[in-house]
Amino acid sequence: MLVARAQRYKPAVQPQAVTSGVSVGERGLSRVYITGVGVVSSIGLGKAEYFASLAEGRSGISPVESFDASGLGREYAGEVKQFHAKDHLTAAELRRTGRCSAMTLAAARMAIRDAGLGDGDLSGGRTAVVLGTTMGEANIIADLDHRWIKSGPTGIKRALLPKYGSTLLPIHVARAIGAQGMVLTLPAACAAGNYAIGFAADLIRAGRADVVIAGASEILQELQFSGFVRLAAMAQNRCQPFDLNRQGLIVGEGSGLLVLESEAHAVRRGAVPQAEVGGYGLSCDAYHITRPHPDATGSIQAMKDAIAFSGIAANDVDFVNAHGTGTRANDTAEAKVMRAVFGDHQVPISSVKSTIGHCMGASSALEAVACVMTIETGIYPPTIGYETPDPDCDVMLVANTARVGKADVVLNNSLAFGGYNAVTCFARPGVLPPPQWRIPDGSHDRAPASAILARSPSLAESA
Amino acid sequence: MQPRAVTGLGVVSAIGIGREPFFRALRDPVPLADAPRRPIESFDATAYPGAIVAEALHFDPTRYLGDKGLRTLDRLTKMLVVAARLAMVDAGFKKDGLYVHSSPERVGICCSNAYGSLEAITELDRVAKLEDARYINPAKFPNTVSNSASGYASIWEDLRALNVAVSDGNCGALDATACADIYLDSLRADALLVGGAEAMSEALYLAFCRLGALRRVARLGEGAALLAVEPMEHARARGARVRATLTGYGTAFVAPETEEPLIFASGEAMEHAILAALGDSEAEPGEIDVVASSLSGLAPFDDAESGAIRRVLGDSAAIAAPKHYLGETLGAGGAMGMATALAWFDGVPPAHLVAGSLPSATKTVLVTSMGFYGNASAVVMRRAD
Repeated sequence: MLVARAQRYKPAVQPQAVTSGVSVGERGLSRVYITGVGVVSSIGLGKAEYFASLAEGRSGISPVESFDASGLGREYAGEVKQFHAKDHLTAAELRRTGRCSAMTLAAARMAIRDAGLGDGDLSGGRTAVVLGTTMGEANIIADLDHRWIKSGPTGIKRALLPKYGSTLLPIHVARAIGAQGMVLTLPAACAAGNYAIGFAADLIRAGRADVVIAGASEILQELQFSGFVRLAAMAQNRCQPFDLNRQGLIVGEGSGLLVLESEAHAVRRGAVPQAEVGGYGLSCDAYHITRPHPDATGSIQAMKDAIAFSGIAANDVDFVNAHGTGTRANDTAEAKVMRAVFGDHQVPISSVKSTIGHCMGASSALEAVACVMTIETGIYPPTIGYETPDPDCDVMLVANTARVGKADVVLNNSLAFGGYNAVTCFARPGVLPPPQWRIPDGSHDRAPASAILARSPSLAESA
Repeated sequence: MQPRAVTGLGVVSAIGIGREPFFRALRDPVPLADAPRRPIESFDATAYPGAIVAEALHFDPTRYLGDKGLRTLDRLTKMLVVAARLAMVDAGFKKDGLYVHSSPERVGICCSNAYGSLEAITELDRVAKLEDARYINPAKFPNTVSNSASGYASIWEDLRALNVAVSDGNCGALDATACADIYLDSLRADALLVGGAEAMSEALYLAFCRLGALRRVARLGEGAALLAVEPMEHARARGARVRATLTGYGTAFVAPETEEPLIFASGEAMEHAILAALGDSEAEPGEIDVVASSLSGLAPFDDAESGAIRRVLGDSAAIAAPKHYLGETLGAGGAMGMATALAWFDGVPPAHLVAGSLPSATKTVLVTSMGFYGNASAVVMRRAD
């Protein structure tokens, strides 16, 4: 029904295949398009099932089955129960990978297929793979640890050892598609997806890659689950972002991958871009290892930077995908960000974590996919379970039921352990001004200390 | 890559802590194969008689950080925070704990580790399995996340521009320079601490032992090395001493031709990476005076890497192997290579070359890192004249 409603909505600019010559922005920067997305989530595999569930508010939160959580006082998570690696991986890949890499490979294949690319289309040095995660193959290290505890050093299975390491996620994808460019993991905790997408877009803008497979993955794991319980950050059985009575987060898992493509590459093959990657902002709170800065100064700056790097104004933003973890500290800080950036011009905001839980390293990548789908359909997915307004969270929340509206420019907000803040802008193709490598002088309040820098030759110029 | 100024170094290593002790030790480093066995301090090694590792000897973080706030930090974090503090002072950004150049909003960190959270994960796993998951120390839980160490470095040194953790195995520290180059070029920061860290732990030692990767020459090491990197114009404008420039970067990945092996040494990837770095630096192969290689004593990887170096630079290329005296420091490896190059630019002669002959002067260095999975990265550095 929602999809039918969305089809009646007429976006300001209709997405269409890029067929004209390459239009370049200042300093010859390429636009960066998202031409395919892939998803493994607790509410569906593939973008159609994932977004339909999000839009309908079908929760992916359920009792944990992969380990016994009964003694911890918390038993619910956004666990992916319908994913079977053998449906997506070759026999050799199954032998080489753990669950996190398997989800990553599956999501990569979905994204590549969604982009209309085939096997071998991405081989060579002009394709890079940039992925994020928090703990990577956490099940592998847990297995090794448990063998070590149970049987001593000789109990450790040698064949398992090489499978551990967050380094491996992009390696597996690069092997599968024959990519020979940069393989990079950015373990930026809960902001990892935004970090990966932002850097991937820069690789393309700087002329260092034509296509980048970007995104992030995370799996549900006992130690991580227990840790959040011990931090007193976990809710009982539902996540209620921005609600007065919110109890905390619900841990989730999944993988969200995107195909990022230079405009020239997309033009050559007649690809239909689903969205454009705009600017992104990064900052660090340098305040506390797990808590956001109470004044949200770093997050505010990151969001302002994302807007400024996109060459737009705050009132051009149509929708914000919130980090929205459901913890008291996060949601209050995020409401301050919205107030500081948008003032009285309130912008609709929503948190998909109410539906799929907090998928840690994968969260902002899964949410990036949701942003792309929002741009494509005009549907703002709802924050489910919302009951009581919190005066400290004075935001225009899309509560409980999806809304249909203008979705030309969408921001994806994320905050993470370590004080990491990252915000990425996504837009309907054709909406944003030409991409810019640097923020124009005077357009934001974090100008470089030395004006001389603004005149220095740039990497982009040399590319 | 536009030339990026290196204006400071913070280093914690098996041969010295701080730039000057590190440079002094590089004048006559003792290869680990010949070094007397030292008692292991970082973990209880009674189960591993004969174990030899290249630890940061007598590492005492309280000497640099004071004794408050260290209780829940793991070894990796302590080393990285010390390196960050030393780098900020060495580059002249801070004096007596306060910024004297630039500001917290304009300085950040971009650094690598490969297995940084291993110590915390294994410790908390033991608590969960042998006692109860309800007894996990929540203050130590953040250490299980691999960007935790760089998060703490930001907190301790007030680095707010951006904080980027890289996890690319042995190539991570060199790949961090590529990230930093882009972030600096787009003016997201005035300066970045760039490098990597890796800490010794029983789990790490045991893993490499079980893989059969520890030999007479191949020894695990640990440490942290951070270079203060900034645009040339910024360094000049603030009157900083430029110790070297980063001028080129290259990376590549080449998968094995057969399906099964996961661990794979790709000489082809290394060759591509070196050629890309030279091209990025607009340098000819003949300009490279010496290579700070990642040769570590593991024959398949050493053969692939040295073969690639010779194919690009010629059979007479001078090749050094800093890992022979610093140990295999994994995610910190490339940073240790760059730190070693800084010493060579400062007049320290490259020690224990494994190939070629000593250059009359070291003006241009190629730093290489060989990944375990078919990836390789390279960086070109030049002496500041």
